[in-house]
Amino acid sequence: MRYTIHQIKDGEDELILNYRQLNTEVEAALAFMEKNQKKLIGKSDGETVVFSPDEILYVEKVDDRTFAYTPDHIIQLDMSLYAVELMLDDEKYFRCSKSMIVNVSKVARLKSMASNRIDATLVNGEHILISRTYASQFRKLLKGERV
Amino acid sequence: MKKPNLWERYLTKEIGIEFKACLYFYALLFFYCIYRLCVGLSVAEILHMAEMILLTYIMGYIQVYLLWNFDESDHMGKKEIFGVFVCTVLYTAASYAGNWFDRNRYVTIGFAAYVIFLYVCVYFVYKCRRIIDDKILNYDLALFQTRSASEAHADRKDR
Repeated sequence: MRYTIHQIKDGEDELILNYRQLNTEVEAALAFMEKNQKKLIGKSDGETVVFSPDEILYVEKVDDRTFAYTPDHIIQLDMSLYAVELMLDDEKYFRCSKSMIVNVSKVARLKSMASNRIDATLVNGEHILISRTYASQFRKLLKGERV
Repeated sequence: MKKPNLWERYLTKEIGIEFKACLYFYALLFFYCIYRLCVGLSVAEILHMAEMILLTYIMGYIQVYLLWNFDESDHMGKKEIFGVFVCTVLYTAASYAGNWFDRNRYVTIGFAAYVIFLYVCVYFVYKCRRIIDDKILNYDLALFQTRSASEAHADRKDR
């Protein structure tokens, strides 16, 4: 497949795929585009925000509402925590308690606590607690065992 | 990921209590045996030993369910010190009532001090264990993050 790359000075980054028929190469390119287009939509301060899952520090369910926390925003999502868990579908997003999913790649430090709980310090300095129920699964995940 | 059921959670707690009972029983037995040797006796009363194991088992429940599992806590605050105090009083009273040390006041006071010392030691043992665990966890975290980053990079390269 022939491809052309242009560097632009203004506007958004854009990928355009021209094809005559679907084949494995085109499908691979489409899969790449779709994967990287995985975006979440939510509301923050009354405005609609579109953001990448990579920005998430953690997702929390509070009073039946789901919030995604990024370094800059608290975004209310219009989906359940379970739906977010299914959508993210990556081992780095770990269900660390009944009401929370943490982005493990945004964890700066871990501290072992009493009763086999784990305190995780995120890159922005916030602390979250991995409950005893989920701590052993978390340890397995870190060791590279599939959970 | 399957969440542990009620039975599994109960069993985990129960095993913790059993472990605690064994640990404290052996510590009490050590003090008791030293006392017996000091008074010229080389045999231990089975009844006393039965009382000790039963008491340490009950105390395990009290510690876990009523006194915030203070010997395994993250720091020694007021409530943990209160827990140490309550358990020490209960052990000392039981030793006096059970005639473990022939109701000798000085030995009983020494026993109370020993129980406090024991709790402090156990607290520090758990603390040391957690410090080592911290190192393991952070090492594993660094490996996980490196692995994730390189997988993402390889993924991008493949595509």
